[in-house]
Amino acid sequence: MTEDPFLQAEALHKRYGGVHALRGARIAVHPGEVHALVGENGSGKSTLLNILSGQIRPDSGTVSLAGRPVEFRNPTDALRGGIATVTQETTLAPELSITENVFLGRRMLRRGPLIDWPATRRRALAAVRRLGLDVDPSLPVRRLRPDQQQMVEIARALSIDARVLVLDEPTSSLTDDEVASLFGLVRNLRDEGVAIIFVSHRLKEVFDLADRITVLRDGRTVGEAPVGELDRPTLIHLMVGRALEEMEPPPVQERGGASALRLRGLTLPGSVYGIDLDVAPGEIVGLAGLVGAGRSELLETVFGLHRPSGGTVEVEGSRVSFKSPRGAIRGGVAFVPADRKLQGLVHEMSARENLVMASTSSLARVRRPAARRELRVVRESFEGMRIRAGSPRVPVATLSGGNQQKVVLAKWLATGPRVLMLDEPTRGVDVGAKAEIYQLLFDAAESGVGVLVSSSENPELLTLCDRILVMFRGRIAAELSRDEATEARIAYFAGGHR
Amino acid sequence: MSSDATVRDTVRPTMGSRAAAIWGAANRYAVVLLLLIGIFLFFSLTQPDFFSRANIENLLTGSSILFVVSIGMTFVVLTGGIDLSVGSLLALSGIILSELFNDVGLPAPLAVVGTCLAAAFLGGAVNGVLIGRLGLSFFVVTLGTLSIYRGVVNIWSNTETTYISSSFIDGIAFSKFLGIAYPIWIMIATYVVALVVLRWTYFGRDVYAVGGNITAARLSGINVARTLIMVYAIVGLCAGIGGVIQAARLGAASPLVGESTPLDAAAAVLLGGTSFLGGVGGVTGTAVGVLFIGTLQNGLSISGVSSFWQQVVTGVILILAISIDLLQQQGSGGPLRRLRGFGHGPTSSSEPTVEEGARSD
Repeated sequence: MTEDPFLQAEALHKRYGGVHALRGARIAVHPGEVHALVGENGSGKSTLLNILSGQIRPDSGTVSLAGRPVEFRNPTDALRGGIATVTQETTLAPELSITENVFLGRRMLRRGPLIDWPATRRRALAAVRRLGLDVDPSLPVRRLRPDQQQMVEIARALSIDARVLVLDEPTSSLTDDEVASLFGLVRNLRDEGVAIIFVSHRLKEVFDLADRITVLRDGRTVGEAPVGELDRPTLIHLMVGRALEEMEPPPVQERGGASALRLRGLTLPGSVYGIDLDVAPGEIVGLAGLVGAGRSELLETVFGLHRPSGGTVEVEGSRVSFKSPRGAIRGGVAFVPADRKLQGLVHEMSARENLVMASTSSLARVRRPAARRELRVVRESFEGMRIRAGSPRVPVATLSGGNQQKVVLAKWLATGPRVLMLDEPTRGVDVGAKAEIYQLLFDAAESGVGVLVSSSENPELLTLCDRILVMFRGRIAAELSRDEATEARIAYFAGGHR
Repeated sequence: MSSDATVRDTVRPTMGSRAAAIWGAANRYAVVLLLLIGIFLFFSLTQPDFFSRANIENLLTGSSILFVVSIGMTFVVLTGGIDLSVGSLLALSGIILSELFNDVGLPAPLAVVGTCLAAAFLGGAVNGVLIGRLGLSFFVVTLGTLSIYRGVVNIWSNTETTYISSSFIDGIAFSKFLGIAYPIWIMIATYVVALVVLRWTYFGRDVYAVGGNITAARLSGINVARTLIMVYAIVGLCAGIGGVIQAARLGAASPLVGESTPLDAAAAVLLGGTSFLGGVGGVTGTAVGVLFIGTLQNGLSISGVSSFWQQVVTGVILILAISIDLLQQQGSGGPLRRLRGFGHGPTSSSEPTVEEGARSD
């Protein structure tokens, strides 16, 4: 790696109104390296990536390609320069075929004025085969698994002969096996001389995959080093600007009395079968398993979003059968859904309105909202949870991911639940906010709430849970106590082994 | 950052954010408000007959039907829908009024109340239930009821106008209270009630929440179906009130009225800065939008220009207002703009709820 960087950005500044998102960020990416870009939410990663991919223009600073200064006016300019981006959210058209998706936004091969479908299909097939994906290119994309869809996105990015491939949180919806195959692919591309910018909140992945790391904090580049020169504590220190103690869960609380939540034989055809599960008050129980193992469906069924075909649900000893989320909330059950953007928040509404939304949902609708009480709840939540926002009145969309997730959590804690269920509670949240969210869950359990956490991040479950239930194809495959549970064991049972 | 500073920053809403919230809400219809003031001054200076008591009253009473219906339409658009059937329902309300008064022989006040309730019931029980309870597309459902109600109007009335001779009903259009015509009072009352409902009730919040993110609203325990049924009942009620005013102005129930009402009302709502994607906007903007259309129409006809030019100008302004909005956001709104999609301001969403924060500190 003695050659000059292929892509270099220097002294980038960008302001959004009063927010100084970038204040002198830089990054230099060499051909044939995996370059990790890390930083907490709000550190300016997205802004930097958006500049590199031509979606926004910096207020000042330079971007150069192979030593020549360039100015990307739009994403097409960046693509022409050889920079392709695969974003967090899928940008595929699910009903269109693989071929059409690979060529999305570009001209297909033509014969005269008409599309030459056979040739186009062959080209698309070659593009996905290069990535080790061997499927019929005329299949609609929605029929593929999430990791295969990701491959299609990467194939599309590479089919423009990209010299730089930006992967923004590519693993957030993949299972461990899928992540491994993605990493294999990324290493191959690196060996072919492609420069890869890799963004992930999972530091383990960063250390596994990256050759170099650039660390952003508060819009500045605060460190850049080969991966061998950094260890985990140093990296975290650079990212958060302070040392962060590793979380140690408090000892298990033994409490008598009825289970906070008790499921017996709960069945939702096609998703979950015969689930028996108990969560004691003050206990944190984890649900592990691959994507599609039925974890989300199980939580949703308890919350009244699906009607189970059989089985019983008891909350604090009394039999319940929730027909809607409203019923579940009244029954003392709270549910933090997996997708903050689609399920968790109303983005145009203020942090305050979002925060009280669930706890006021059973009040009479002609009532005037009690401003004083609401503001007290909001203030307590903001202080207690260290939610950082300009004011509770700003649209919640303006908060960073970690703060948004805290607002979602605060919304549900404000309902005073007996049972708190969470699906992927720290997805897309940076390490600092993650630690704070863990502490909030420990506090909730401490106060006697039964907590049921579903997560595809096994280290998270190992940190949080007193017990871990591993699901496989809709059934509970194993129950592991805290002492028994290891990442390897969870992965073993989650993969269907016995 | 130190946590003390953080807490202080977060819990004390500053005057700056308060001003920003007010400006944010007003900004959504600022362009149209300025244009309204502009054309009002222009017609006042160039047309001696324009700025007279009689003409202003004429302008307002002439706008009253569209005003009332547009206020109702605002609720629907805030939930991310649109009601194409309001014009047909307005015409149907006239026929129902004539039926109740002429044929059933109810006293006029009862007939009026019955008409409004019937229209609200039809809006909620048909459009509302199909859209809110069964989850059908608002566009298809209201396109269907547009056709159904118009057909019923024509069958029931035999396409003939029926006269309604009641001094009470005439009075709705032509009597005055404190020197101001009743339709203007009805406008004011509709606006005030709608504003209070949207700003100061949980139901109002539900409307914004359902329009902003229906899934999050449902998961938060909000009764989405009931909210939607209520919203379509409200626009039905407003169409009923509009139908009564219309019948009173004509002294008759005509099957021909209301053809252009749904699109005019939608234009007024969108001119007023309410997002057609839902969740953003309010009735104050709608009031400005209706007054803009009404002033333009009145001013042009006084100037001797064909009032059909009003349609052309309204369309142009609608597109211009949205373009200006978009350009402004590209100047300042960065990340928010992309989150919200197109056609939204970089601003606070709802009518600002400012006074509470200020009071409690």
